[in-house]
Parts: sequence; structure tokens; C-alpha cells
Amino acid sequence: MRPAGGVLWLGWLIAGPTVWAVAFSLAYGLHGMGCEFGWPAVAVGPVSLHRLAIALPALAGALICLGLLARVKTALGPEADLPRLGLWIGLVATLFSLAPVLVATSCGPGLG
Amino acid sequence: MNTPMNTPANTPLTPHDPASIPANPPQRALGLHRELDRVWRNAPGLRGQITAVSHTTLGLRFMVTAFLFFGIGGLLAMLIRAQLATPNGAFLDTALYNQIFTMHGSIMMFLFAIPMLEGLAMYLLPKMLGTRDLAFPRLSALGYWCYLLGGLILIAALLAGVAPGEGWFMYTPLSGKTYSPGINADVWLLGVTFVEISALSAAIELMVSILRLRAPGMKLTQMPLFAWYMLGTAAMMLAGFPPLILGSVLLEMERAFGWPFFDPERGGDPLLWQHLFWLFGHPEVYIIFLPAAGVLSTVIPVLCRTQIVGYGAIVAAILGMVFLSFGLWVHHMFAVGIPHLALAFFSAASMLVAVPTAVQIFAWIATLWRGRPELKLPMLYILGFFFTFVMGGLTGVMLAVVPFNWQAHDTAFVTAHLHYVLIGGFVFPMLAGVAWWMPLMSGRRRVRGLGEAAFWFILVGFHGTFFLMHLTGLMGMARRIPSYPENPEWTALNLSSSFFGFVMTIGFALFAIDLILQAGFGKRSVRNPWKAPSLDWAMALPPPNYNFASLPGPALQQAGAEAAMLALAKGEGLLPGAPRGRREILVTSVGTARPEHVAILPVNTGLPLLLALAISAFVLLMLAGLYTLAPLALIPVVTLIWIWARRAMAPLDATPIEVAPGLVLPVQPGDGGTLTRSGLVSLLFANGTFFASLLFGLAFISLVSPGPPRPLWPADRTVLLATGAVLALLAMAALGLPRALSHIETGRRAGAGLPVAFAANLLALALLLALGLGQLPDPTRHAADAVRAALVAYVGLHAAIATLFTAFALDQARRGELAPGRAGALRNAGLWQSYTLAAAAVTLAALWAQEAAS
Repeated sequence: MRPAGGVLWLGWLIAGPTVWAVAFSLAYGLHGMGCEFGWPAVAVGPVSLHRLAIALPALAGALICLGLLARVKTALGPEADLPRLGLWIGLVATLFSLAPVLVATSCGPGLG
Repeated sequence: MNTPMNTPANTPLTPHDPASIPANPPQRALGLHRELDRVWRNAPGLRGQITAVSHTTLGLRFMVTAFLFFGIGGLLAMLIRAQLATPNGAFLDTALYNQIFTMHGSIMMFLFAIPMLEGLAMYLLPKMLGTRDLAFPRLSALGYWCYLLGGLILIAALLAGVAPGEGWFMYTPLSGKTYSPGINADVWLLGVTFVEISALSAAIELMVSILRLRAPGMKLTQMPLFAWYMLGTAAMMLAGFPPLILGSVLLEMERAFGWPFFDPERGGDPLLWQHLFWLFGHPEVYIIFLPAAGVLSTVIPVLCRTQIVGYGAIVAAILGMVFLSFGLWVHHMFAVGIPHLALAFFSAASMLVAVPTAVQIFAWIATLWRGRPELKLPMLYILGFFFTFVMGGLTGVMLAVVPFNWQAHDTAFVTAHLHYVLIGGFVFPMLAGVAWWMPLMSGRRRVRGLGEAAFWFILVGFHGTFFLMHLTGLMGMARRIPSYPENPEWTALNLSSSFFGFVMTIGFALFAIDLILQAGFGKRSVRNPWKAPSLDWAMALPPPNYNFASLPGPALQQAGAEAAMLALAKGEGLLPGAPRGRREILVTSVGTARPEHVAILPVNTGLPLLLALAISAFVLLMLAGLYTLAPLALIPVVTLIWIWARRAMAPLDATPIEVAPGLVLPVQPGDGGTLTRSGLVSLLFANGTFFASLLFGLAFISLVSPGPPRPLWPADRTVLLATGAVLALLAMAALGLPRALSHIETGRRAGAGLPVAFAANLLALALLLALGLGQLPDPTRHAADAVRAALVAYVGLHAAIATLFTAFALDQARRGELAPGRAGALRNAGLWQSYTLAAAAVTLAALWAQEAAS
């Protein structure tokens, strides 16, 4: 670890899960907004505006994680192992937890 | 010793390489002990109890108090089981039954689990990290007194028959004024919030201590796993408690002043409470589990005579759990009618979090497999943990599946699951931890046999009680019902649960007796009885308040407890003794733990108790409904905080200190990187979470709440001008403070920047008051008005605190206390000011968006 690199290293360590947290929050927030403003009824090509709006943060989050994974070794050298695991956590969590956007109905009631 | 600590003094000292720090010459260990003890010990008698700020004393006190509350909570559980033993239990009437199960849950969560983990971490961390105390000893004491006083308020309410009876998660509208007109719900809201001051203070304390007080050279990637677990826990507490505190404040505002955040008839939404509560409530499960897992990761390798398998994988698993656990809260709300897609997101995240949990379980099993496990008492509790927690985890995955969740919702199955997770995942590891560290805490050995008997009673009693509750739940028995006359088929299971509940109680009573016998009558323990390698055993038993006569460098850290003990006692480490008669510790850098400066910690003081008493006066006045008098109690609160800050300053005559031959460190860091600043950053992180939760509330009420439409509020020109002026004034203050700082750092007087900042803050505060009282619509009219007023009040509170910050710096300037390298008050004021400005700008944008959306 570089002498003054503690905070930077911590930043890299939490980068992956932070990307997931932001993507997850955005997706959930956009889901609520879309249901309020009637986005499921607006078609954008083959999908609804709602589904597209929710999928975009997931896609962006995954791409950011991939981009950071490509750079982590260069940035941190031998201290890259743990941050790399963190980035994998972010990538897998983003793809897995937001995957339902591909299949589930967007604003249907969940009970009753 | 052939170690880098013995490097000759003429070796060039590279400041970035702690391994090259030379050893101090050995001294007489007894002389050093006497010198340190004079400075660090508690005062004698009752005064000593009141004024103690030592982490060792307070950690122990937290744990003992938590166990006392655990006893009360357990007694209430026995009353519940007595009531449910037969279908027509006449033991308790319904109102009292409601109070008892509510208090059982609240006590176990807020007065046992959280304080217990805080106490253990406070006690152990400085010892494991190789330092003498936590970063803010007075904050530890304040946290303890708030915990004790808040807990006593809750217990007094129970004895007086006015305890909350709405369930430990206090769902609205049941907890609203309409259905809970007495003060019962207020006791919960105010009492628990008061207690949570201790959780937040502990979180700040632990976060800063782990990042800044590690022994020189102890890199983050080399620190004990327990510290990683506590770092994760502290971060989760900083992010998790603010939503609960916000929810409690909003609900109390609704109950006290009629601001209808949760009242659907006036645009509010009861689901907002559920969101805020579970935003705290689910991470809370992991906040409780992580320290327990830290105990397991510490104890298992030593008892297996090997090293932990998968250090890096465990750290990654902690990281995953810390984050993922914040994406699960809605799984407590699967039955409220949330859209399919949102359910699927949270269901997926709930299943995903099982992965990092499993990584740890497999790492522990692999460690057991690789080593030679010894079946000593702590290991029995560890095996009890495996058996119990894995079952709780599996029923958790079952409940993460939405269709099953709908079937089992609000039944005894959920009660069984949560007890498997909490007792399996927290109580068993904590009992293992207590059995493990009791020789350290008491300096004595335990009585053989009694602990083992206690374990078997607890294990058999627990599973007999709660395994059967899965079945009663699957048979349809709802949780929290006091009787079941229509369902005789549940009787045998309930009677059996009650029987085994009492068996478990016998086990806990035996455990308590074992501890008392050990602490009072046990034979003296040898040092390091478990042959553990970690630094917490490299000291006398029981440990003195200062822990180490000198602080371990890299070589002594790696040498193991046995080898390091004597060298540390003889002062061969860094910063030996207390030759200046002050409580000194080393502050190191975040990543590599490079020594940066020496911090002087405060001495014993009664200030924390006085401050806690002043806060409790505010809480009690609010409870009594004396809302106009309550703000008066804030005057002593502010005064005491002012005195607190005055006493926090390093002495003006503090000169640099030679901590090792050739290594001289300042007492005031030139770059402003003080512990206080780190603490303030942590506080602002928690504050930011609180603010984000409030913005979430605004969005939820504006977009999702199904109530009547928002009444129009056409903001006129006066309002626009006033808000613009507030922003401009806060910006002016934010610019003035760095200017004053630059004057001071270049050896000049503070100049006009400081008084201008003070005046600008004061004027902004006055404008916000005028805006809130004269221009905003009545906040009782609609939830949208209430949340708007809450946001303005939030900015107002921050402007008020910014005013105090600048007034404090102004006072320091007047006294001539600001000087180059001694301008921490200005730096901290600048940080707070920037946050206040940002919060005001975001508030304005959010309110504009709210109006635009309508």
C-alpha cells in the first residue's frame, strides 16, 4: 500500500459495492417515478420507457464496474486484490439484483 | 531480539516506513507502570465511577448493563411464554401483554444487542490495535450515560404501566395519536432516540479509532479481522441509525404537533414509516451479526491452533454484507402491496446476501478442518452457533421467496426465524466471546463444569422453544396474539415451547452465576491462558487503563503476544510511559499506519454525565408534553458542549514529542488532520444519510402517497427573495472561513472573514425563522406542507449550529488562541459550513422539484 494511499485504497475497495448501491437506488427510485408518471405505457422501440429507464442504471453500473476492473491493477499494483474482489461484488450484485427488470411486470400489484 | 525495533539509532529514519523506527531503551517495568497508572487511572470511589472515561471501564460497564437489560428482557419473555402456554391464558390482560412483548423486543434490540456489541468493541479494539484508548473517551462516556438514562426511562415506563404496546417496530397508524393517545408510544420514540445517541457516538468513535489509532505499521490489510468487522459495523451504524432517528422524530412531530407525515387523510402514508424503520431494521440484523462474526473469526483459529482460512475472502464478504444488507429492507414489507418488479429486486438482493454469509461460514469450517479444534467452552458455543445460525439462515432464504413470505407473514414462523438468526448469530457467539475474554476482563479463571451445564441448558432450551414455533407458525398461529381459544391444535406445541423456554432461562441463569463466581471467587488466571497471538493478550490481567506501557511497532506486533508482552512493559515500544503527565496516544495514517502526530486525550471528567442529564431533561419535558419549556433544556446542552469543546484543545505550550529515538512528532498536525476532524467527517456522513432519508420522505409523499392531492402553495416573490438571500448568506460564510484560515496560517490575525461569517450565519438563521414562521403554509394542513417545513427546519438547525461554530472560532480569535497549526476550530467550522450550504442548495432544488411535479 502506498504510504499516503490509505483513503484512496479504501475508495477503490468500496467502489464496486457503491456502484451497486447507486444503481439499485436509482432503479428503485425510477421505478416509483415511472409508475406515478405512466411510463409503462410509453413505448421506446420494443420496450417500454419504464423498463428502459430502470435498465439503464443497471447497465451503466455494470459497465462502470467492468471499466474499473480493467484499471484496478494499474492503479493499485500489488494491493489490488481486495479492491478487485469488491468490484466483482459490485458487478455481480448489480446484474443479479436488477435482472428482474428483464422479466417482471413493472407496476402490477404484488399482492391480491 | 533480532527485530527492526532494535535497529541502531543511527539508521536513517524514513517517515514512510514504520518498520525502520528504532526501539526505545528498556526501562524498569514497575516504574513505567506507576507513572502511567497515576495519569490514566480512574478517580477513587463514586466520583471515579461518574468521571471515568477509560475505554476499559466503559466497555465493561456497557457489557454489564447490557446483560442486566438482557435479564429484564428475558423475564418479559418468560411472562409471554407463561401466557401462551395454554389457549386461554389469563395471566396477563391484553394491554399489558402488548406492552410486554413490545418491551421484550425493544429491550433486546436497543438495550441489549447494540450496547453489548458496543461494549465489547470499546473494550477490545484499543487493545487489539495496540493503542491506549479510543479516539474520543468523553464521547464513550456520554454514550454510556445516554444509554443508561434512556434505558431507565423505558424501564420506568414499564413499571408505571405506560410502556409502549405497539410492537417493537411501532407501525403507524397504530402508533399514531388516534390509536395510541397516551404517552406510551412517545416513551418509545423519545427513549429509543435518546439511547441511539450512544449508538451513533460509538460508531464515530470506533470508525475513527480503527482508521487513525492503529499501532504504527499495522496496515489495514494486516489488522485483526475483528477490527475489519467492527469497521463494517461502524459504517453500517452511521448509515443505518439515521433513518430510524428520522422516522422517530417525524412520528413524534406528528404526535406532538399534528404534522401529518403518516396520516393518509392528510396526504401522509403509513408505509413511509415502514420504509424508514426497515431502512434501519434490516441492516440492524447485520449490525448485530458482524461483531459476533468478528468474535468467531478471532476465537476459532486460536482454538484450532491454526490461522484463519481466507482472510481476504472474509474481508470481501464483510464488504459485501455491509452494502447488500441495505438493499433488503423491503423484504419486511412484501405483504403491503408493492409492485411486482420492486418485490423482485428486493427478493433477489435478499437471496444474494446469503452468499457472503456463506463465504464466512465456509471459511470457519475450513479453519476447523485445517486445525486441531479443542472442545473448550467457547468452542461449545461456537458449535451451537453453527447449528442454530445455519438453520436461521435457511429459513431466511425461505422468507426471501415472495410467495412463501406471503404465506408465513406475521406468523410464529417469522418469530422463530428471527430468534434463530439473532440468538444463533449474536447471542451464541457473544457467549463464546465472554467465555473467551473473561480471564482478560476479570483476571481470573472460571469454575469448571458450570459453564458447560449452562451451554447445554441454553442449547436444548432454545431449540425446544423456537424450533416448535416454526411448526405453530406453519399451522397458522399469528404472532403477538395473547390467546388462541379457537385453535386447540396449537396447545401441545405452545406448551412445549413454554416448557423449553424455562429450560433456556435456567441455562442463562447458570451462565450469569458462572460469571459472578469467576469474577468474584475464581483463581488468578495466568497471562494469555489461550496462547492467543493477538495484542489484546500482550498485557497484564486484568489490564490497566493505559493497556500498554509502550506502543508496539511492526516487529512487536508480529512477534505475538507472549514475546511482545515484556518488551512493551519495559518501554521498548513507542511513546513509553507518561513522562509529561498527560494521556498521550499515537495517531497514524489511514492506510499504512505511519505515525503522524501525538494526540493528548482528556482526563477524567463529569461533563459527559452532566450533558446526558441535560439531554434527558429535554426528553422528559417532551414526554410530559411541555413543548414550550423543552427548548429551554437545550440551553444547558449548548453550554456544556461549548465547555466540552473548550477543554478539548491541546495545551498551548505543547511541544513536539520524541516517540522513539530520532522520531519526533508534533502534538498538533500541521495539515489539520486531527482526530476531531475525522470524527466530524464521520458525523457528517451520518448526517448526510439522515438528510437523504428526509429527501426520500419528500419524494415518497410527493409521488407514491395515495392521500388527497397537495394543496397549492404558490411561492410568492418574498419567499423566492428570502431563499435566495439565505443561500447567498450561507455562501458568504462559506467563503469567509477559508479566508480567515489562510490569514491565521500565514501568521496574521483572522481578519474580517470570521466576523462576516458569523454575521452571515446569524442573518441566514433569522431569515429562515421568518420564512418558517411567516411564509410557509401551515404544516398541519397536509403531509407535503409538513415535509417542506421539516426540510426548512433541517437547514435552520444547521445554520444555527454553523453560527455556534463561527462564534466559537471568533471567541478563540479574541483570546489569541488561533495560530498557525492551531486553527482546527476554523477548519471544522469551514467543513460544517460547506455541508450546510450544500444541504440548503439541495433542499431548495428538492422543494422546487416538488412544486414542479405538482
